[in-house]
Amino acid sequence: MRRRAGEGFLIGVDIEIDILEVSPTRVKIGIVAPDALQIVRKEVVLTRQENLTASRTAPPQTIAWLSRTLSKPRQGASAKLTAVKDLTDPIRFVSESTKTNL
Amino acid sequence: MSKYFGELDYSTEAVFQFPEGIPGFDDQTAFVFLEQSQTHPLVFMQSLVHPGLCFIAVPGLVADPTYHPDLSPEDLALLGLSLDPAPQTGSDILCLTLVTVSEQAGPTVNLASPIVLNLRNRKGVQAILPSSGYSLRQPLLAQGDLVPCS
Repeated sequence: MRRRAGEGFLIGVDIEIDILEVSPTRVKIGIVAPDALQIVRKEVVLTRQENLTASRTAPPQTIAWLSRTLSKPRQGASAKLTAVKDLTDPIRFVSESTKTNL
Repeated sequence: MSKYFGELDYSTEAVFQFPEGIPGFDDQTAFVFLEQSQTHPLVFMQSLVHPGLCFIAVPGLVADPTYHPDLSPEDLALLGLSLDPAPQTGSDILCLTLVTVSEQAGPTVNLASPIVLNLRNRKGVQAILPSSGYSLRQPLLAQGDLVPCS
């Protein structure tokens, strides 16, 4: 299907999609749909799915391994392999006083 | 209470408000961000609403040394930021990317939707970067770094 600005189409009987504006890089779309239908940008849906996966618990050994592997190349020769221990080091909160190159 | 660190004492200045939560967790509106020398450079994004919710993040530049996300006007407004003068990473804002650990594949980071924190007003948002070319599942480690986790 090809549409121009000002044209539209229907999905079923109660969802109407109108092409409002077309520019070289963006398209403005008008949507008329029942209130019960949620309309969300695709990126938001993909981010939601990824967040749900990312929220799963990571085992301590995975956390230790990640930390070890990530800090290795950037700390050069001084990189030390810390043993897998409990997470008992002092905890620092990230706040305004954090002036690092995070 | 926290997921990985037990009982936590925190001051109000350590709390970041996420007025809209983050996608999938719309009611999680307050987080603290924790670091430990032992787990450097990981940053733990602990929810204050739900103790069992804690994301693992790394600074964007650790995930990708050339990382340069462009925030949408909506996200800048949510953070109370303007581009003039441009906010400085490290003193004005922090940009973190969430890590996904999967058993099948190696760890990945979400470069397409970074967590951006305004350090001045302690507001945060998960920025959705439209058509940025950044991946939701960027492999975190180079292939040569992948060693069995024993």
